[in-house]
Formats: sequence, C-alpha cells, structure tokens
Amino acid sequence: MLLQLRNIFKWVNSGGQRLFLLKDINLNVEEGEFISVMGPSGSGKSTLLNVIGMLDNFDEGEYEFLHEPVHTLKEKHRANLYKEYIGFVFQSYHLLDELTVKENLEMPLLYKKFKGTERRAMVADMLDRFNIVGKKDLFPTQLSGGQQQLVGVARALIANPKLILADEPTGNLNSAQSEEIMGLFKQLNSEGVTIIQVTHSEKNAAYGSRVINLLDGRMIK
Amino acid sequence: MLKNYLTIGWRNLMKDKTFTFLNVLGLSVAFGVAILLSMAAFFDLSYDKFHANVDNIYRIHTLEQTAKGQGASVSHPAPFAEALKAKVPGVDRISRHVQDDALTIYGDKELNLDAVWVDEDFFAMFSFPALKGNMDNPLENQSSIVITESTADKLFGEAEAIGQTVNILISGEEQPFIVSSVVADNPPQSTLEFEVAIRFEKHYEYSGNRESWDNRYHDIYVQLQNGVSPEQFEKSSRPLIALRYQEQIENAKRDGARANADGLYWQIGLLSMTDVHFASFPNGFLKVSRTGPYLILGIAFLILFIACVNFINMSIAKSAQRLREIGMRKTLGAQKAQLFFQFCSESFFVFMASAGIGIVLSILLLNDFKTIFRTDVSLDMVASPWAISGFLGVVLLITLIVGGYPALLMSKLGTIQSLKGKLDASGKNKVRDILMVVQFSIAILLISGTLILWGQLDFMRNKNLGYTKEQVISFPLDGKKNSYEAVQLLRDELRGNPDVLNVTAADNNLGYGLDGSSSKSLYGYEYKGRMVRTNFLTVDYDYVETLGLEMVAGRNFQRGFANDSLSVVINETMARELGEDDPLTAYVMMNDSIQYPVIGVVKDYNFERLDKAIEPMTMFINNNWDLYYAYVKVAPGQMVKTMDAVQEAWARIEPNAEFLGSFLDENVDRTFRREKVMATLIASGSVIAIVLSCIGLFAISLLVVNQRTKEIGIRKVIGASISSITFMLTKDFLKLVVIAFLIASPIAWWSMNEWLKGYAFRIELNVWVFISAGMLAMVIAFLTVGTRTVKAARQNPVKSLRTE
Repeated sequence: MLLQLRNIFKWVNSGGQRLFLLKDINLNVEEGEFISVMGPSGSGKSTLLNVIGMLDNFDEGEYEFLHEPVHTLKEKHRANLYKEYIGFVFQSYHLLDELTVKENLEMPLLYKKFKGTERRAMVADMLDRFNIVGKKDLFPTQLSGGQQQLVGVARALIANPKLILADEPTGNLNSAQSEEIMGLFKQLNSEGVTIIQVTHSEKNAAYGSRVINLLDGRMIK
Repeated sequence: MLKNYLTIGWRNLMKDKTFTFLNVLGLSVAFGVAILLSMAAFFDLSYDKFHANVDNIYRIHTLEQTAKGQGASVSHPAPFAEALKAKVPGVDRISRHVQDDALTIYGDKELNLDAVWVDEDFFAMFSFPALKGNMDNPLENQSSIVITESTADKLFGEAEAIGQTVNILISGEEQPFIVSSVVADNPPQSTLEFEVAIRFEKHYEYSGNRESWDNRYHDIYVQLQNGVSPEQFEKSSRPLIALRYQEQIENAKRDGARANADGLYWQIGLLSMTDVHFASFPNGFLKVSRTGPYLILGIAFLILFIACVNFINMSIAKSAQRLREIGMRKTLGAQKAQLFFQFCSESFFVFMASAGIGIVLSILLLNDFKTIFRTDVSLDMVASPWAISGFLGVVLLITLIVGGYPALLMSKLGTIQSLKGKLDASGKNKVRDILMVVQFSIAILLISGTLILWGQLDFMRNKNLGYTKEQVISFPLDGKKNSYEAVQLLRDELRGNPDVLNVTAADNNLGYGLDGSSSKSLYGYEYKGRMVRTNFLTVDYDYVETLGLEMVAGRNFQRGFANDSLSVVINETMARELGEDDPLTAYVMMNDSIQYPVIGVVKDYNFERLDKAIEPMTMFINNNWDLYYAYVKVAPGQMVKTMDAVQEAWARIEPNAEFLGSFLDENVDRTFRREKVMATLIASGSVIAIVLSCIGLFAISLLVVNQRTKEIGIRKVIGASISSITFMLTKDFLKLVVIAFLIASPIAWWSMNEWLKGYAFRIELNVWVFISAGMLAMVIAFLTVGTRTVKAARQNPVKSLRTE
C-alpha cells in the first residue's frame, strides 16, 4: 500500500458557516496504480491532489503515506517525505522562467543534496530520455507548450519518485501534445510509477486504471 | 546550490533592468554619501584624542558671578598657574598657553609664524612627537624653541635645523633663540596648533604682568595626577581662589551678585581636553556640544535609511512577481530557512555591489567634499582595520535587516497560495505606507531646514552691520616696523591715489581676515561704585570715518587735540551701561587713578558675529599700544585695481611681509563659515533625500500600476475618464506625502526655532516656509507618480484586460 486516506475532511469558514472542500474522503492507493480524479469545477479535485501531495493541510481524518502518519508529522518531516517520493506536474507547467531547461531539471536535485557530478549525470540522463538534449540551454519561454510540459514531467521524474501527481497536465495543450504527454504517463506507469492525475477529459481518464469521481467534495461511485 | 541562487538572482535582476538600476543607484549614492559624512563626523569626534595623557588633561576656566549673572572666561593672570601648582594638591604637570604670531627672522627670511608661548611641561603633557633634537625637555632653557617639521623646511630647507639660531621679534626687539627640537606637524585633529613653541616667559606681556593678578591673558592646561578627579581638584582650589580673588569677590557681593549653586562667587572649572574642541560659554555657562558631528551622522543615517526603505519596498513589491518561483521551490522541497537564505543572499550581493560602488564614489568625491565642507579627513584615517571592519559590520547588519525582512515575508508564504500567484490585499500595504511616510517626512524636514538656514544666512549676509563693509580693505600689520610708523607710511604712499578715500588702523579686525585669527579684549573698571565691563579697542585717527560709523553724540578723535590720547569714544550700548543722561559727562577709569572722559558716542555696530548681541565698546587712541590691522577705504568702481595698489604700497613699506588683505564683506562672510557648511550639508542632504525618496516612489508606482492593470481596464470599460483614473491612482501616493508633511512640519518648526535661538539677530519663522517645503515635496512626488499613472490611465482597456 502506497498511501491511505481515512475520513479526510477539509473546510473553510465563510460568513460563520463551514464550507466543505473535502468531505469524508476514504481512499487507498496501491503501488503501480494509475488513477484519474474527475468531477466538475469546484468539486475539490485539485484540493484532494494537494492534500495527497502534502502541499495543503486537512482539518480532520488520517493520512498514511508509506505507513508514515502524515497528519502527525511536523512540516519539515512532511517536506522531506514529499520531496523524496512525490513529483508534481502542473497545468501551467510552473517552470522557472529565469532558468534554462537544464537548470530547471537540476533544481529538485539541489534540494535533495545530490553531488554536482551526480546531478549532471542525472540531468543528462533525463534530457536523453525525453529527447530534449538540443533544448537544454533554452529558456522555458522559448519552448512550445507541449515541450514545456515535457520538461515539467522530466523535472517531476528526475529524482525517481514513487508517485506522480498531475493537476490537469494537458489542460493547456492541443490534442496532439496531449496524446504525447498521456502516452508518456502510460509508459511511466508501466515502468512502475504510481500516477494520480486530475482531468476533465474522459479520453485522458481512459489511460488510467481507475477513476475517482468527486462532487462537492465527496467521492461518488 | 549557491550557484543556482546566484544564477536566478542575477537573471531576476537583469530581467527588470530599470528596477535594478534604480535600486543599485539609490543604494550606491546613499552608501557613498554616508561614507563621506561619517568620515567627516568621526574625524571631528576624534579631535585631540591622539594625546597619550588626554584622560588626565584639563583646561581651566573661571566662573564668576556678577550683578548681571554668571560670566565665564578661559583667560588667567600670569601667577595663577604657579600658585595652583604650589598650593593645590593633585597637579602633575601644568602649562600656561598663549597663541600669538611671532615674526621669525633667519638670515634674510622673515616669517610670521603661528606661535604658542608655553611652559616647560607642555611637551611632556601633550603628544607632539619629536623627530629630531632634544626629546626629553625641549623647552628647558628659556632661549630654546621647538618648531614643526614644515617650519624647519621653510626656515632652513635642507640644512640641519637643530642648534640653529633664529631671531624672533618681541616688543619691537629681535631676540635670539636656539632650535632645540623639531616635532612632527600638528595632526589635523588638534585643537592646539603651532608652528613654533616658545617659552611663556618670553611673551611680551609677561615682564609687566608676572606678579599681576589683574591682567588675564592666557589659557592654562593642567595634567592631574592619576586618581585625582577634577571635582576634587576644584574643591581643593577654593582656599587659594578665596585668597587671591578676594577683591573681585567683595566687589561682586557689593554690586549685588548672587552666589552660585556651590555658594561661591568665583570658582574654577576643569574641562576635559577631549571636550575642549566642542566647548563654548554661551551666557557664561559651559556648554559642551557635539551636535555638529552628530547632526552629520544623523543625516548620513537618514539618507541610508531612505535608501534602505526603497530597497525593502521594492523587494516586497517585486516578490509579487516571484510568487510562482517561491511556490515551485516549496513544492520541490525547499524549506523556509533555505528560501530565506536564498533571498537574503540575493540582497547581500546587491548590497555588496552598492557598497563597493559607494566606496568608489566616495573616493572620487573626497576632494570636492573636503573643499566644500572644510574638513581634513583623509583616506589613511579610514584605511585602519578598525574602520574597515566597522564598515563591513554595518553593511552586514543593514543587509541582514533590510534584506532579511522581505526575505522573511517571502519565505513565510503558503505553497498553494504562492503557486496561484496571488498575494492578498495587493495594492494596500501598511508597512510600505508607513515607511514611505517616514521617507517623505525626512525629506520635508531637510527641505524646511535648508530653506530656513538659507534665510538666516541671507539675512546675516545682507544685514546692515552699522559699518561700510563693501568698500573697506583690512589687512594685518605684521612687519618689523612699529605699527604707527607703518600706518603713517601707508598713508603717505597712498595719498596720491584718488581711489583711496581713507586709511586707519586698529588692534582688532572685523570678521575673519585671511590670517584667520580673531581676538577679543575686555576691560573692567569700577564706575561710581559698580563694575563696568567693556570691549577694548585701540584705534588710529579716522577709524569712525573709514568704517562709515555714525556719531550720535560728541566727536571722534581728531588730530591736534592733545588730550585725545587720554579720552575715549564709546558705543551706545556702553553709554547705556554707564547710565548717564548725558554720556559725554561719563568717564572710563584707567590704572585706578586716571579718568578718561567720553568725548563721543558712536551708533551701535556689529563688531562681533551676529549670534552675539552688541556689547559695550570703548575706543582708545594711544601710541603706546600697538595696532594690528590696517583699514583702507576705497572708492567704488575700481576696487580690484585699488586693492593691487594697496598691496604694492604695502610691499614697499614691508618688503618681507606677506600681504593678507581682504574686503570686510569677505571677512564677515568668513564668520558664517560654520553656517554655510551646515547649510550646504543640509541642502545636499535634502536633495539626496528627495531624489532617493522619489526613486522609491517611482518604483512603487510602477508596480502598483502594474498590479492594478485589470482594475484600470474594468473601470475604463465601465466608463471612467482618464483624469478620474489618474486622480485615483495618484491620490493614494499624495495622501502619504500629506501625512508626512503633517508629521515633519512641527518637528522642523521646533528644531529650527531652537537653532535660531542661538542668534541674537535672526529671522522670524514663517509658516510659509514649511508650507512651501511641503508643496515642493508634493509637486515632486506628483511629477514622479503622475507620468506613470497618466500613461496607465490612457492605455486601451482591451489591452489591459487581456493581460489577465
């Protein structure tokens, strides 16, 4: 078991009332799964992903990641946990505009205290694997959307995470680019990486092994 | 890791060049200015500290109670120092000290040297290191003198100075002296200055006054034994004072003086040598004030503060553009401390670069700075390890505070929030507003200070002083000849020149001449049962006419009246002091027996600086008392040419003496030197302050307008006019300036009022000065912000909405 959510609640107080963002979420994720989270706007998809990624807190419930009780961990430990095991891919790529492709790929390694030679080897490896060696010295703004997302995925993968969280990874891409990225996810999944993606598109969801539907913060079957 | 930080820091700086340029420019200028100003301030504060015994050396002054209140004086009678040494326990060393010119003759060289006449102990007390000759007690023999290195060069050139004999003119006679020691030139931060040191006993006043307790004419410096406090010493001195000044004390009691807090009428005070440079005696009370250097340090601090505020405000504003980076870094596992360190190190490099440019700037500007602000600071002084480490420490501290605050704010942001790129309550920012109000308060404070200082300076420069200052040249009579003879020769030389209207002389100058010396002679006597004190001036014929003074009663001294040398001319204040209905019936008593009748009264004129009220003045005409300055009144029109004629005439009379002539208005101007320096300082400070504040304002307005692009677009679509949008955007900034004005004006009013109180003749404070300072700041702020806001308001709304 990779992770387990038990009775997760998350709310905000608005005008004296509790507004539930997540309501009683129970979810078990096994290693090697490819899960698609679906639902209309505002149903809590991204919030759920952020909670799983430990970027956001929840108000009630229990969350175990690799048998570590996340809800009792201090922030520092939590950060160590997610930077070790989780890679993020965003709809708007979130590459740092001031850094080149190579430097963007290198950044997660810096926070994990890899040595310089190791870093260079890993970056070169990743550039090779994604066929973007020729673009290594370009800045993100000089790339197309699909290429940027490719770099985004490469960055998420570079430290060999167990889990990739993708928040509408193809939302800003055209169909051809989308297919390329989804194909990549499929391949990664077959290599053993667990993937949870948020998506609007049935077509993308079909790449996954399981679909979770959310409505108003609740899981529906 | 650090390389990654630096890469991204550098690229961020380069991405927005305007911003970076403004930031670095502001900080560099502020650093440069602050370095120069603090150099000047620390230079001033280090005065006299180079003496090894400085902690035990004191200058002695007397505090005497008179019917008019307390009087203070640093002048003492000749036997006093010896009596102190003999009768009061605690004296380690003691030296009398008179500063006077000494005409020094060696071969065909005649030099008017700046001399001190001191006792044997002088060189043991003060640290003027000997370079050559007798190191131990160079003034042991009365015929020995000590000269400085550059004086030795002037007199003897390459030849050996030690053992040389020179002649010094004392009371019209040349006396031989042997050079026993050559000391290093006086350090620039020394209150005691001399080119030659001579034994006190050789001073021309000494022989007539060695036993006299009435004539007070020199300073006394004393070095107390270790462990003896100045208070203790003062207490031990009381019996001696009571005995020696018995008569004066009785007189004071009779005239109705009140005893001071210690129950005494006559008391000595000891002023630490470290305070001497900063001491004065306004209204008879000792005041040690280091306001000058601290004011300079304060301005340096304010300017640095303004630049730092800019940096903080810009960093915070800029951070909005780096939210995504912060969020992304957190997602990748960056911790708070790491982010803090990242942003701090970026600031550190900006600061280091600015400090570096600032140092270069200050080195480039050092010479101009020294001329404008008349300070002798040098880079050697600053190059000490102490100063360098202090400077680095200050830069680090500033970096930590100024770079740390925005870094802390940024590192604390939540991950999700920053990834979404939203900063709450954009546009409104309390810290930023407060900081900007403080900035503009400082600017307005300095602007009003400048306006008032200029007003007072202008007032002093243009005030009618009661004498003709534009047309009169004065110069020191420092040749070998008897002064009366010299003045008469001058009259003869210039008689044929139609542009020379009058020639006269006196024993004192008006204002500061090119010789830079000034003196004051006071005389006190008993008039109808009470003490009267007056300034004492020896004049030659035509003094009143030459200076254009106005007679209000009687007549001036005239040739042919044999008794005039036993008569006096007084000013109106003296006439009031004497209290006679007809001042011409009054007299001045000399030597306890001879009455000098008043033959004339001149209208009051400002013979001293304008910070002093006009004091009683009595003029004497007596060939036995030397004259020191000649005055020549010239016709308007050809004044420069006439000056040359006077110089040539003087060169024929005293071929070896230097001609140091200048017009009296220049002399008077020189007395404002302190005010001028202060005015220039505060004026430059305020210019820099307002420019820096505007740089900050400009940058912030740029960002705020950017942040509100969408709002501007929506408002325009709804139908807002360009002017209303401009007004809306500008209003917020101008509001800050108005608040700053309300805060700064009372502070400015109070402090300037305090400052003006030090001047007997001064301008009235006018509300409009403050209002115009505020308006000026407002207009400048408006122009700074206005250009940006109008541009933003004019933009096509479709364009501004599309950016979302």
